[in-house]
Amino acid sequence: MKRSKMKLNKTIIGALLAVYIAVPLIFGDDSYLMSLVVASLVIGGVALSWALLGNLGGMVSFGHAAFFGVGAYTSAVLSMEYNLPVLLAMLFGGVGAIVAAITMLPVLRLRGPYFALAILAYAHIFKILATEWRSMTGGSGGIANIPTLPVVMGYDFSTKTGNYLVILSIVLIFAVIYELIRRSPQGLALRAMHDSEDATRVVGVNNTLLKGLMLIVSAFMCGVVGAFNAHYINFLEPDYAFSALWVTIPIVAAIFGGYRTITGPIIGAVVVYLVDQLIVKNMLPSGHQLVLGVLLVAMIVASPDGLLGLVRKFMRKKDAKA
Amino acid sequence: LTFAGRRAGNAAAPCLVSEFEWNADMTELIMQAVYSGLLQGGSYALIALGLALVFGAMKVINLAHGELVLLSAYVAYTVESQLGWNPMMAIPVSVVVVSLASASVYFLVGQIKTNREINSLTLTYGVGVILTNLILLIWKADVRATNSLWMQEAIVIGPLYSMRSELLFFGISVVLIAGLWWWLSRSWYGRAVRAVSSNRDAAKLMGINPGYTELISFIVAGILAAFAGVALFSYGVITPSYGGVLTVKAFIITVLAGMGSIPGVLIGALLLGVVEALTVTLASSALQELAGMGLFLLVLFVMPNGLFGATRRRG
Repeated sequence: MKRSKMKLNKTIIGALLAVYIAVPLIFGDDSYLMSLVVASLVIGGVALSWALLGNLGGMVSFGHAAFFGVGAYTSAVLSMEYNLPVLLAMLFGGVGAIVAAITMLPVLRLRGPYFALAILAYAHIFKILATEWRSMTGGSGGIANIPTLPVVMGYDFSTKTGNYLVILSIVLIFAVIYELIRRSPQGLALRAMHDSEDATRVVGVNNTLLKGLMLIVSAFMCGVVGAFNAHYINFLEPDYAFSALWVTIPIVAAIFGGYRTITGPIIGAVVVYLVDQLIVKNMLPSGHQLVLGVLLVAMIVASPDGLLGLVRKFMRKKDAKA
Repeated sequence: LTFAGRRAGNAAAPCLVSEFEWNADMTELIMQAVYSGLLQGGSYALIALGLALVFGAMKVINLAHGELVLLSAYVAYTVESQLGWNPMMAIPVSVVVVSLASASVYFLVGQIKTNREINSLTLTYGVGVILTNLILLIWKADVRATNSLWMQEAIVIGPLYSMRSELLFFGISVVLIAGLWWWLSRSWYGRAVRAVSSNRDAAKLMGINPGYTELISFIVAGILAAFAGVALFSYGVITPSYGGVLTVKAFIITVLAGMGSIPGVLIGALLLGVVEALTVTLASSALQELAGMGLFLLVLFVMPNGLFGATRRRG
C-alpha cells in the first residue's frame, strides 16, 4: 500500500517535471505548437470546471460559455479601465463569473433537462448583454489591446512559454481544488446525491445549497480561465467570448476523457483539441466541428464514462472469455 | 414600415432597424407589431409542439430540434435556388428529409444504455453540432432568404400589413395544430402517445408498444419541424447558427406554457411572437431575443410551473 503510494508520488513528480520543464524546453521554440498547447489547456480548464459540475453536482451545463465570457470581459475591463494588475483582474474575472452564477441560482429549482436548457438560455442573455452594453464592452466591435500577462520577478510571462506556465498552473491548481472538494464530507454528500437525492435529503444534506456551491465553484474556475484567455489573445468580442465553442469542445473533451475523473477532462481536452487542430482542420477547413459532434455522439452511445471506461469494459469482456 | 426591416427583425439579424413612420399613430404601430408577432407565433408553436411532444413521450429534450427546423429551411432554399420552384413545393421533400433525420435521432437516443435523461441531452447536443456543421459544409455560412416575389407580396387587411408567406404559413400552422389536436385526442396512435406520456408502464400493460409510439412522436415532431422550417425560410433569413436560437425559443415557449397542453403551447408561442415583435417596434431588433429571455425569467421566478401547466417540474 505504502509502496504503491510512493510509486504514485514518483509518477506525479515525474509528470510535473515533464510538463513544467520538458515541454517548454522541447517545444518552446515552435510558437505555433505552443499556442495550440496553450489553447488546449484553456479548453482543459473549461472542461475541468464543466466536469466538476457534472460529476459532483449532477448537472449538465450548456451555458459555460456565459462564465467564460463574463470572466473574460470582467478581467479585460478591470485591467483596462480601472488599471488593476492583470493577475488580480483575472481573479476578479472569476468573481464576475460567480456573480453570473448567482443570477442563475433560481434555475436550480429546475431539474435535469430543464436545468440544462435554462442555463443555455442564460448564456444567450449574457451574450446579448455583452453586445448591447456598448459603453462597457465596446459592443460587437470588441475590445482590442487587452494588457498581456506581466513581468514577475524578472520573468516575462507574456511570452508563449510564460503563458503556458501560467495556464498550466491554473489548471493544476483547479484540479487540486477539485480533488479536495471531492474528498471532503460535502464531496461525499454530493456523490451520494447521484444515487438518490431524496435519500441524501432525508439524512440532512442540503442538496440545493451544495448544488449552488458547485455551480459557483465551477463558474469561478471557468471565469478565471476565460480571463486568462482574454489576456493571452489580447482581444475580445462577444461572438468569440460567448461562442458555443467554449461549451462544445470542453463537453466533447470531458466525455472523451471521462468526466467522472479529474485528469480525464484535461487530458481529453489536450488530445481532442490537438487532433482537431492539427489533423481534422487540415482536411475540413470549415465545419470541422462535425467530427467533434460525431465523436460526442459515438462516445455517449459506446461509453458515456469516457475512453477509459471503454477500455475497462473491453478488458472485462476479455477476462470473462478467458 | 418597410419589409426589409421587418424581415431582419423576424430572424434576429444584426441591426437593420427599419425607418419607422414616426408620424404614424402609435397605436397603429403597436397593432401592426401585435399582428406580425401573432403570425410569427404560428411557426414558433409548430417548433415548440414538436419539442414538447418528444419530451412527453420519451422524457427526452431534443437539443437538435432547432437544427432539424433549420435543415428543412435549407432544403427549401435548395429547391428554390436549384429548381427555381416556389418554396411551398419544398414541403414534401422537407417532410421526408426531416422526418428521417428525426427518426435517426430517435434511434441514437435508443442506443443510450445508462442514465438516459442526462446522456440524451449530451447526445442530442452532439447531433445538433453535427447538423449545424453539415449545413455549414453544404450551404456555406452565407445568410439566405427567399427570392420568391409571390411569397413576399404584401397583403393588406384593413390597417395591417403582412407578407403573403406570413399569412399563408400562419394558416398552415393553425391547420396543422388542429390536426395534431385531433390526432392526439381521437386517433389510436395519438392516444397511445398520450398514454405513454402519462404512464409508460400502464400503457405497456394496455398493449401499447412504447418504442413504436416514441418513434411516431419523433416523426410527427419532424413533420411539424419541416413545415416550420419552410415557413422560416419563406419570410425570414436563415444562417447556419440559427438552429440553437430556435431550440432555446421552443424551450422558452414550453416553459411559458408548462408542459403538456397544446393550447398552452399555442398561447405561449403567440405570446413570445408578440413580445418579440413589440420589442423590435418599440426598442430595437437587437433586443428582440432579450425580450423572450426576460419573459422566460419572469415566468421562471414568478410561476415556475408555467402559465398553464399543472405538471410538477420542481426538484
